[in-house]
Amino acid sequence: MLELKHIYKWVNTGNNRTFLLKDINLTINEGEFVSIMGPSGSGKSTLLNIIGMLDGFNEGEYNFMHESVHQLKEKQRSSLYKQYIGFVFQAYHLIDELTVYENIETPLLYQDIKSSERKAMVADILDRFQIVGKKDLFPTQLSGGQQQLVGIARALIARPKLLLADEPTGNLNSKQGEEIMELFSTLNKEGMTIIQVTHSEKNADYGSRVIHLLDGMIEKK
Amino acid sequence: MFKNYFAIAFRNFRKHRLFSLINMAGLAIGISAALVIYLIVQHELNYDRFHANRDRIYRVVSTISFPDMVMNNSGVPVPTVDASRTELTGIEDITHFITAGTMKVAVPVAGADNPVVFKKQEDIIFADNRYFNFIKYKWLAGSPVTALQAPSSIVLTSSRAHSYFGDTDAGQLIGRTILYDDSIRVTVTGVVQDLAGVTDFNFREFLSRATIETNPGLQRRWSWDSWGSINSASQMLVLLKSGVKAASIEKSLAQLRERKREKNPQAESNEKDIISNSLQPLADIHFNSKFDAFGQRQGHKPTLYGLLAVGGFLLLLGCINFVNLTTAQSSNRAKEIGIRKTMGSTVRQLMAQFLSETFLLTFAATLLSVALAPWLLHIFRDFIPPGVSFTTLNQPHVWLFLLLLVVVVTLFAGLYPAWVLTRFKPVTVLKNQAYSGTSQTRKAWLRKVLTVTQFVIAQFLLIAVLVVSKQVHYSLNKDLGYSKEAIVSTYVPWNFFSEKRDDRRFTLYNELKTLPGIERISLAGNSPASNSTSSSTFTFKNGDKKVETMVELKKADTGYFALYNMKLLAGRNLLQSDTTKEYIINETYAHVLGFKNPADAVGHSFGDDGKGFPIVGVVGDFHTKSLHEPIKPLAYSSAMNDCYQIHLALDKHQSPAEWKKTIAAVEAKFKAIFPDEDFQYDFFDQQIANFYKTEQDIARLLKWATALCVFISCLGLLGLVIYVTNARTKEIGVRKVLGASVLQLVRLISRDFLALVLVAFILVVPLAWWAMSNWLQDFAYRTSISWWIFAVTGLGMLLIAICILAARTIKAAMVNPVKSLRTE
Repeated sequence: MLELKHIYKWVNTGNNRTFLLKDINLTINEGEFVSIMGPSGSGKSTLLNIIGMLDGFNEGEYNFMHESVHQLKEKQRSSLYKQYIGFVFQAYHLIDELTVYENIETPLLYQDIKSSERKAMVADILDRFQIVGKKDLFPTQLSGGQQQLVGIARALIARPKLLLADEPTGNLNSKQGEEIMELFSTLNKEGMTIIQVTHSEKNADYGSRVIHLLDGMIEKK
Repeated sequence: MFKNYFAIAFRNFRKHRLFSLINMAGLAIGISAALVIYLIVQHELNYDRFHANRDRIYRVVSTISFPDMVMNNSGVPVPTVDASRTELTGIEDITHFITAGTMKVAVPVAGADNPVVFKKQEDIIFADNRYFNFIKYKWLAGSPVTALQAPSSIVLTSSRAHSYFGDTDAGQLIGRTILYDDSIRVTVTGVVQDLAGVTDFNFREFLSRATIETNPGLQRRWSWDSWGSINSASQMLVLLKSGVKAASIEKSLAQLRERKREKNPQAESNEKDIISNSLQPLADIHFNSKFDAFGQRQGHKPTLYGLLAVGGFLLLLGCINFVNLTTAQSSNRAKEIGIRKTMGSTVRQLMAQFLSETFLLTFAATLLSVALAPWLLHIFRDFIPPGVSFTTLNQPHVWLFLLLLVVVVTLFAGLYPAWVLTRFKPVTVLKNQAYSGTSQTRKAWLRKVLTVTQFVIAQFLLIAVLVVSKQVHYSLNKDLGYSKEAIVSTYVPWNFFSEKRDDRRFTLYNELKTLPGIERISLAGNSPASNSTSSSTFTFKNGDKKVETMVELKKADTGYFALYNMKLLAGRNLLQSDTTKEYIINETYAHVLGFKNPADAVGHSFGDDGKGFPIVGVVGDFHTKSLHEPIKPLAYSSAMNDCYQIHLALDKHQSPAEWKKTIAAVEAKFKAIFPDEDFQYDFFDQQIANFYKTEQDIARLLKWATALCVFISCLGLLGLVIYVTNARTKEIGVRKVLGASVLQLVRLISRDFLALVLVAFILVVPLAWWAMSNWLQDFAYRTSISWWIFAVTGLGMLLIAICILAARTIKAAMVNPVKSLRTE
C-alpha cells in the first residue's frame, strides 16, 4: 500500500542540523495493523504525519497507492489523503463549535457528497458506534472516550483505506482505551489498514506488527 | 456546505460575543454612514437628469466685469432672446422665461363674494410655448403648442390646480380665471402633471410670456428693451444643434452684443462692454453657486466630496477593525482550520468558509445600519436635501447599493484575514504551535500599521474639528464694528408697482418709538451685515487724481449708527433726507481714496460723473459680510424713500421672554397698520450666525464623524488589547511568579499600544497643520492654528487609549498566576 525509501527529515538550529528522522525504510501492505513505538522525541508522530502527508520530508521517496507523494503538488496530495486516509488524534481534535453529527459530516462536505447520501452515511455510522442519542450534543458535553469515539467515527465516515491514529488512547482511562482498541481490531479484521502511534505495549499487542523508533531511526523490525 | 459554514459562523459569533459585537458595531457605523451619504450624494447628483437632450441644453448667463470686481448674474438682458432667435445659427431652440418671485393670487369662487386669496405664492414664471420643448410635461388638459400663445393665459401643474380649485377635473379647469397681484387677470389654458424627477425646475404656474408683451408696467419692471441691464429673473435656455460647441455660441453671442449695443442710442459706444454672456450646462445649474438655480437650494460639490470622504473613512475604519480583530483572533480558529485541512478541505474551501462568515457579519451589520438609518438621517439633517428621507430607502437602486456594499466590504474586510487563516499548516496547528514562530510577528506588523492608520484618521478629524470650531467661534465673537445683541429688524411691506406714495411705515415708526422695552429705533435700509447688497461704481476726483471704485451703498437714518453702536471716526451724523444728499463712508473707502487720516476725507465729494455728493463723516470699518470677505469700500446715505426696514434695539437687560412680549407688542402695532401682511422679524446676531451656516454645518458633521471615528478606533484598540492580554496570559503569569508588580505588568503591555498612538500623532501633526492652514486660507480674517489644538488632540487621544488599556490590562495583571499557568 505504501512504501517509504530513505526518508530523512531534519531541522537546522544555528549551525547544527538535528535529525528528526534518519533513513527510514518502511513498507506497509493493505490489511496490516502497525504500531509505532518509541520514547518521547523519537520521531513517532513526525513519521505518522509524513505518512499522513500532513508534513513534508527533506530527502527520500514516498509512494502511496502507486503515486509518488514526493512529486505531488500540495493540492494533489490533499486530494489523495482526502480520499484514502482517516486521522484519529490523541486530543480528539473535534471542532468545538459543531455538534457530533456535524463533526462526523464534515469530511463528506469536502468530498462533494450529496446531502441525502451524507445523511444516510452519518446515520449509518452513528448507529454502528451507538451514539445516535448524542448526535446533537457538542464535543464539550461528552466524556473523553465518547469524544474519541466521535473522532474515530469521523475518521471512518469517508471510508478510507488507511487509518492513522496518533496515541488514540493517550487521554483515556484504561477501560475506555480498551474499548477503542477493540474497535480498532474489529476494523482491521474488516480489512482496514491501521497505523497507530502508541506508548503502551498492551495497545501494540492489538496490532500485527510493531515498529520501534529511537532517535529518528527504526531500531528493529 | 454553506449551511455548515453558517452554522459554525453563528456559533462562533455567540462564543466570541464581544469580538463579534465590536466587529459588527464598527462595520455598522461605517455602513450606515455610507448608506446615508449615498442617499444624499445620489439625490444631489440626480438633479435634472431626466430631460431629453439634456446634454445639449444650456442656460445663457451673464458676467459683469467692473474694474475691481466681477459680478455674475444668472439672467440675460431681455432683448438678447429675440436677437438670438433671428441672428444666431447653431441653435435648435430657445426659450425665455421670467421668474416672477412671490405673487398674490386671488382665485374667484363661484357663488361667493370674495375670492380665495393666497398671499405669497412662489414658483411662478412667465413662459412661452417653447418652454415645454425643454421641460417635458404630461398634459392633463390643453396643449403645449398653444396653451401659452395668447396673453393672459396660464398653465398650472396639478398640485397648484388642486390647491386653487380642489378636486375639480383638469378638463373642467380650462377657462377658469385667476387674478395675480390684483392686476393681472388670466385664464387657465392648460394643466400639466407635476414633474416626477428631482429637479430645480420646480415651477408650478406658467403665465404666458405674451402677457408681459402687452403690459408696459411689466416690461418696465424687467427692462424689456434694455441691452444694458440684467435681471436674474430673465432666464434664457438654449438647445444647441448636435455637434455645436458651446464656445462657438458664446462667441456669436459676444458679437451679437457688440452689434446691438452700438445700435442702442443709450449705450456709450466708446466704452467697453462690461457684460458678457456664457453658456452654463444644464448639469451645472444645481451646483454652481456663482449663478443661482431659480432661487432653489443648490448643491455644494465640495461638501458632497467631503461627505464621500467621511463615509469612506468610516467604512475603512470599520474594515480595518475587522481585519485587525480577525487576524488577532486567528489562533482561536487555528485548531479548527488544522482539523478541516486534515479532513481534506482545500484552501479555497476554507477561504469560502471565512468569507461567508465575514459576509454574514457584514450582512447583519447592514441590517443594523438600515435600522440605524433614520437616526443618522436625523443627525445629518442639515446636509440632507429635503427630498431625502427614510422612505427613499425603499428603492431598487438603494438595495443594489447595499448589496454592492456588502460584497465590497466582505471582500475588503474578509479577504486578508481569510488568507492569513488558511495559511496555517495543519501539523503546527495541531501541535499547538500556532502562537510561536516568525509569522506571528509579521502579522503583528500589519496590525500595527492598520492601528496607526486608524489613529491618524481619528486624530486628523479631531484636529479638524477643533480648528473649524475655533474659526466659527472666532467669527462669531470677533469685534465686527457694531453691536449685534438684542437687535431685531423687520421689513415693512412695499409695492414697487404702486405710483402712490405709501407713508404708513412712518406711522408705524412713530408708534413703535414710544413702546416700552425698545431702547432705540431706526427706519433705514439693511442691517450693517446683510446678504443683500447694492453696489455702484463711483468716481472720485481730487485735483487731477481720479479714483474709480466699486462702492457698496447702504441707507441709514439719524438713529441707525447709535442703534448699532457704530463709531463715527470723523465728521457728523447724516441729516434726515428723502433722497441721497450726502454720504458717510467707511474707513476703508477713505483709505482707498487716498486719505491717511479719515478726517481729511470729510468735505470732499464723489459720485457719478458730474453729480456728486459730499462726504460728511467717516465710520469705523465693520464687516458687512462673513469673515470670508475682506472689508470693501462702502457709503451710507440717508434716503428715506428707500428705507423699508425697521431696526429695534431691545432692552439688553431683559430676558428673552420679555423680548418676546415686546416683539408681540410690535406685531400688534404692525398688524394694526398692515392688516393684510405677515409680520416677520430676525434677530441680528442670528442673521450673522447664518453667515457661518456652512462652517457650522461642517463643524457639526466633523464632530459626528470624529466621534464615530474615535469610537471605532477605540473599539479596535480594545479588541487588540483583549487579544494581547489573552495571548500573553502565560507570560503575565510567569512574570508575576518572578515578582513583577501589577503596575509593571500594565506598563509592559500598554507601552506598545501607546507607542502606536504616539506614532500616529507624529504623523498627523504636519498633515493636519497643512490641511487646516489651507482651509483657513478661505477666510480673509482667520484664527490661528494654536499649539494647544495639537496638544489637546494628542493628550486626549493618549488619555482615551490609556483608559481603554487600563480597563483590560489591570484585570489581566491581577489574575492569580497559579490559575493562568495551570490552564496552559
